[in-house]
Amino acid sequence: MAHAIAHSGVTQIDSAIDPTHRNILFGLYDDEVKLLDAVKAANAAHLEIDNVYTPFPVHGLDPLLGLQESRLHQAGFIFGSIGCLFGFGFMTWVFTRDWPIIFGGKPYWSVPAFIPITFELTVLFAAVGMVLVFYIVCGLGPGAEPRRLHDRITDDKFCLAFDATDLDGDSVDGLRGFFAETGAESVHNKYTA
Amino acid sequence: METFVFSSRAKATTGGLAVFGFLLLVLSYFVDGGEGHHMRFWTNLLHNTVFFTGIAALAGFAYCAFTTAYAGWFVQFKRVWESFWMFLLPGLFLMGIIMVGLFTHDNHMYHWNDDAAVAHDVILNHKQSFLNKYWYSIATVVFVGIWYFVLGRIRSISIDEDVNGTAAYGHHARIKKYAAPFLVFFGFSSAALIWQWIMSLDAHWYSTMFAWYATASLFVAMTALTIMLLIYLKSRGYYPGINAEHFHDLGKYLFAISIFWSYLWFSQYMLIWYGNIGEETIYFRERLDSYPFLFWGNLAFNFVLPFFVLMRNDTKRKAGTLFFVAAFVFFGHWFDFFQMIKPGARLTMIEMQEHEGAHGAGHEGEYAELPGHTGAVGEGEHIGGPGHQGDLHDDAHEPLVDNHNVETHPDAVESNIPIAIENQEGPGPNIADDDLATSDHEGSEHYATSPSAEFKSGYTIPGLLEIGIFLGFLGGFLFFVLSTLAKAPLEPKRDPYFEESLHHHT
Repeated sequence: MAHAIAHSGVTQIDSAIDPTHRNILFGLYDDEVKLLDAVKAANAAHLEIDNVYTPFPVHGLDPLLGLQESRLHQAGFIFGSIGCLFGFGFMTWVFTRDWPIIFGGKPYWSVPAFIPITFELTVLFAAVGMVLVFYIVCGLGPGAEPRRLHDRITDDKFCLAFDATDLDGDSVDGLRGFFAETGAESVHNKYTA
Repeated sequence: METFVFSSRAKATTGGLAVFGFLLLVLSYFVDGGEGHHMRFWTNLLHNTVFFTGIAALAGFAYCAFTTAYAGWFVQFKRVWESFWMFLLPGLFLMGIIMVGLFTHDNHMYHWNDDAAVAHDVILNHKQSFLNKYWYSIATVVFVGIWYFVLGRIRSISIDEDVNGTAAYGHHARIKKYAAPFLVFFGFSSAALIWQWIMSLDAHWYSTMFAWYATASLFVAMTALTIMLLIYLKSRGYYPGINAEHFHDLGKYLFAISIFWSYLWFSQYMLIWYGNIGEETIYFRERLDSYPFLFWGNLAFNFVLPFFVLMRNDTKRKAGTLFFVAAFVFFGHWFDFFQMIKPGARLTMIEMQEHEGAHGAGHEGEYAELPGHTGAVGEGEHIGGPGHQGDLHDDAHEPLVDNHNVETHPDAVESNIPIAIENQEGPGPNIADDDLATSDHEGSEHYATSPSAEFKSGYTIPGLLEIGIFLGFLGGFLFFVLSTLAKAPLEPKRDPYFEESLHHHT
């Protein structure tokens, strides 16, 4: 992959142009407040933001981007419920049907003794299930090709990206002007999937 | 609006409730009078006093913990907690009434204060160096007094900050000098007081988790009351800077500490269930048999409801749902204390009535009125092997062996073979019957109905008197808190963390 580590000015990235790839024009900001202001300015100017990348969660960004609340926790609830029923059901089956054993003179179906294990399995299923769902939804996992616009997005830069594939030269110049006005440290573009 | 104005309407409402509750409290003195040793009055007084004094103390605990941890989000409403804890002084006064009752022997809630019982009962005798009226009174006065002194100092530094505060953290550092040691002191002293005030109502019983359990209960109640009061103050136009973010965090505390409470409740129950030692299981046996509504209702109010309602993100951010859950859980933890206090006190009352009544002679046994327990112990004495029989002074189990009244219930011996012993004797589906885990097994019918199983409003469930007195105490508490709140600026504008609190995001 070709990377442009540009500390100043505008860099054109060389890349064999794949017709299925999109041309992403993005600016890097060095501060989340500048980024938030830029997103507000873009909304005010009715520019269609492709995406925003930040090294850490920035408070107040979600509503500006009009993002829906994540449904990951619903997956968590479903997996947790499965784990809860599985743990409790499995112990019930083992200790009342399959292999009844008396522990300390307690009944076979000793509900209080099952509760800690049921709890653990609920947490385990919810946690593992949510991680799996998160990986699948985000296209992550072992062997996945990382798709970073810029290396420092995972470090200390805040990225605002526009899809410039179908834009004409004037519009692209307009976006560059927008980046300059909002205090972007550098502007790049990149062909990416 | 700089300062809270305690409107005459709010004054009339809270003050009226307080007067109403006071009249009911006086009335309750005569409801269970004479025979009943005024038990209804004393337990209601103790119940509400401990509940609201505990809320006052836990407000101080939360404040000191947050301050020590450099938390800023709560700073806007810290005056509310400062007002809460000033209730420690009226609370101490109310505890004083109970202490007077201990010394005049008008108050018979505590079995350990009955000299005749202590003389005969080896467990009570053994515990009397801690469970006695002097320890009780001195510990209460000294510990609550120290809390009040330290927290009062913090409040005056905090109010001084409004005038002389700088951005240099000077006042904050001074508050921390009181707050951090307070946390250490409170951790130990609150446990000792909870043991004295509440756990010793079941004087034979003890649980190492009890202090945490009761304190967690108070923490939830304190958080719930804070939420309700803040929603009220916001509806009156105060605290413009408090928004959904702050309520979200308070809601998370309500959720988290409710779960923590449930965790402690369950841990206490399971350890005792697993250990299956008679002196310990008796606490839950009593409540499961005679107070099922208290026992299960407690879990429904304080675990199931907050768990499922507050789990969602947005229920913590909406004033309506949050207020609903807070009100429910607040009542729920009052109910939890009801469940801790009333059955134990009632057992003491029944025991004393037995002493005075026609059955007096030969009834020294702790659970003379409970043939189920007595029979079980009597049987255990025979089968339990050496070390139990006849030797009354070297064994932890021995006071239970001390029940001589098996003969008063001729069928008790046959019908009350303890389950644990059944278990040792032979295989089969019934052998695993356990006296705590299930209620529909063969063994449960062995337990004869004890006199205390009778339904009695005010013990089996909170009666109208209890609800009324609770509302009265709530009115009195709010009257006191709101008048204290009106005495100082509502928002500590010079607190170094005030800005952070205004810009709090979760």
